Amino acid sequence: MIGERVGHFRIVSKLGEGGMGVVYRAHDELLDRDVAVKVVRKDRVPELAPHHDLLAEARASSSLAHPNICTIYEVGETEGEFYIVMELVEGQSLRELCAPAGVSPEAVLRFGLQIAAALARAHDRGIVHRDLKSANIVVTREGLAKVLDFGLARQMELGGSEETTRSVPTSPHSSSVGGTLSYLAPEVLRGEPADHRSDLWALGVVLYEMASGRLPFHGHTGFEITSAILREMPAPLGPPIPPGLWATIQRCLVKERAQRYQRAGEVQAALEAVQSAAILAHDLGAERSEPKTTILHSVKHVRLNRGDSLLLVGTIKGAFILRSNAQRTRWEVGGPYFHGHAVYALAYDDRGERQRIWASTQSYWGTNLRSSDDFGKSWTNPVEVPIRFPADTGTSLKNIWQIAQGRTDDPDTLYCGVEPAALFESRDAGQTWSLNRALFDHPHRARWLPSNGGLALHTILPDPADRQRMYVAISTGGVYRTNDGGQNWKATNRGVRVTFSPDKYPEFGQCVHKIAMHPAHPERLFLQNHWGIYRSDDFAESWTDIANGVPSDFGFAITVHPAHPNWVYTIPVESDEFRCSCDGRLRVYRTRNAGASWEGLSRGLPQKSAYETVLRDAMTTDAGEPTGIYFGTRSGQLFLSLDDGRTWQRIVEGFPSILCLRTAGVGEASGRVRAAAAPKAPASAAQRPAREGMPSKARGKRGGRA
Amino acid sequence: MIFQIPAALREYAGGRSSLEIEHAPAILNDVLTQLWETYPGLRDRIITEQGQVRTHINIFVGDENIRYLGGLAARVAADSIISIIPAVSGGCLEPLSGHAMPASVTNRKNQG
Repeated sequence: MIGERVGHFRIVSKLGEGGMGVVYRAHDELLDRDVAVKVVRKDRVPELAPHHDLLAEARASSSLAHPNICTIYEVGETEGEFYIVMELVEGQSLRELCAPAGVSPEAVLRFGLQIAAALARAHDRGIVHRDLKSANIVVTREGLAKVLDFGLARQMELGGSEETTRSVPTSPHSSSVGGTLSYLAPEVLRGEPADHRSDLWALGVVLYEMASGRLPFHGHTGFEITSAILREMPAPLGPPIPPGLWATIQRCLVKERAQRYQRAGEVQAALEAVQSAAILAHDLGAERSEPKTTILHSVKHVRLNRGDSLLLVGTIKGAFILRSNAQRTRWEVGGPYFHGHAVYALAYDDRGERQRIWASTQSYWGTNLRSSDDFGKSWTNPVEVPIRFPADTGTSLKNIWQIAQGRTDDPDTLYCGVEPAALFESRDAGQTWSLNRALFDHPHRARWLPSNGGLALHTILPDPADRQRMYVAISTGGVYRTNDGGQNWKATNRGVRVTFSPDKYPEFGQCVHKIAMHPAHPERLFLQNHWGIYRSDDFAESWTDIANGVPSDFGFAITVHPAHPNWVYTIPVESDEFRCSCDGRLRVYRTRNAGASWEGLSRGLPQKSAYETVLRDAMTTDAGEPTGIYFGTRSGQLFLSLDDGRTWQRIVEGFPSILCLRTAGVGEASGRVRAAAAPKAPASAAQRPAREGMPSKARGKRGGRA
Repeated sequence: MIFQIPAALREYAGGRSSLEIEHAPAILNDVLTQLWETYPGLRDRIITEQGQVRTHINIFVGDENIRYLGGLAARVAADSIISIIPAVSGGCLEPLSGHAMPASVTNRKNQG
């Protein structure tokens, strides 16, 4: 046949001969490349059932383009012969490589991964090899494992898997005993059709063979081999084979196919895991409890200039940092930070020399408190979560709902309000935290009720004029006030109504959604309740209903205009059953007389089919000139007004559900209050040197900083 | 014994997708304690500060969830493969946490 042509292939030399055909090296004269041509005499192919049509199967296999699969270029028949033209793979068969003692564990993993990848690709296309064995895998000089004869060999050599039980042990092609037979899965030997899991069995045999140089099931006769496959367990493989590899091989070689790996991808994953496994040693512990810093390379960061306005946005799936100049007309979006984590709380701390963003992150993996001193380029990622309930409480942190800073003249004090309802305090700028025991051990605590998302302390308001006074709000517990720096707490809910208990005006147990205060009037507080809007003029001692003319007094967010202590903004929703803007019209309500009357503000806001919800921390203001008022919706839209609410512009749409908003300014002197979320003493005007803009590089670890 | 580390936690495990423990103790909790010693960042992501496995995290010994094997007291073998896998429910955390109360029958709409 040498020198003859098959189609446009010129046969050059004979490469080998198998039971059913001869393989030649040939030259593709059309594409000018060397190929392999396997020629099979039709009469040597035992009666193939129609659905085992060799050519159809070969054509299907030719669709498999994968670096670890020998590509089939063409199939056809000519003068009583089938021919299959395929990629010419030159190298050594894995069978040869495995003799006599196998290959190194690293090579087992390397080749095993490649073979598993090839199977994964073929199985995804519905193609089963049916005759995977070490002799069918060639390792090229480049170290690439190539699986040959996808979808072909079993048909050609065995004439259909249904015949296996009878035909193989008595096959005239006795060379296949110990060859093909040793790789057959038990179900195939029982006469059941092979499927992709039968290939995974064969992969297990190949892995075992690579690891040890031996076949897992052997015998002198076909009967002995079959018996071993059906009944015996392979001899265990010990060191230097890693236990993980042995476990993977065992799982491939489970007799019952339903108990085996079900997908080649699973074997791949298992082998990858072993490959990257490290021996746990006790001298490895380089990282301990100091915060690890995560530098984010793949996230878009905004470029900042001094004087820029920032809007920090916490969403159900991460945080964003939006940047604009002082005009705040165009916004650039950075993030998402903490991809996939819910960010319920953000804060910007510009006290002292800092420009620090705080964020709480929550996911399946728990909650953490993180901070960035470079506007999001790098974040601390404490190895040990710094906020933790003491062992005797039997309580575990579920979420951080609020991060609040202490007074301006107390620059190292921070607070966190958490779920389950508790207050944590830090006196060292967030390095260490402790539970406020007086509130945690409050006798009312046992009667606070968890609501939908749990029992949360979500609002913290230190009195800017009195170091000892502070308010917290708990859902569902109500407002609590301390007058002695947190040593004692009093429920201060007189006049605030509840709708869900027989006693409409209990001492505590209110479902307070938010309280707000203007720093110039710390005696006056505004409260958005679960039904009801209230004001107190006596440090929360008593409350008056001020829902005079709002379409619904149900809502979440409430905020005070930074320049006008009697101007308050809220965004009503229809009811607790239907927490959407009333009548499908998104309107902000404003009072300019501390609640004596309210006016709806809707210019620029959607007024048709706008069923929006604005959550309790999703409205804020900035300290720009003019004041910016911002809110974000559960549908991921962000709105801004620069004229005290008269008109609104949408600055973002399509964010994940917005949980919280905070504003910040870049590089401002501390005389101008820029972090609108934090109450500041009105008298505080200490100037500090203006800071340069952004550091050009992300910072490293912050360890030890106070 | 092999610990399979999910992608989200690899930064706490030196970037590794699995960790192998030699001469591991026979009780899962003891193995975990050993694991935390070397990779302390894994601890708070997998269990709470009170030592319970986080609600949405499942630990499997082989194919079996430890909640059917006695929890952290599950017995493990030298060739066990231990997988740490988050639950499949999709990561949606109800953002209205703290708001939901029994639906009120009193709508105080427009009340003075």
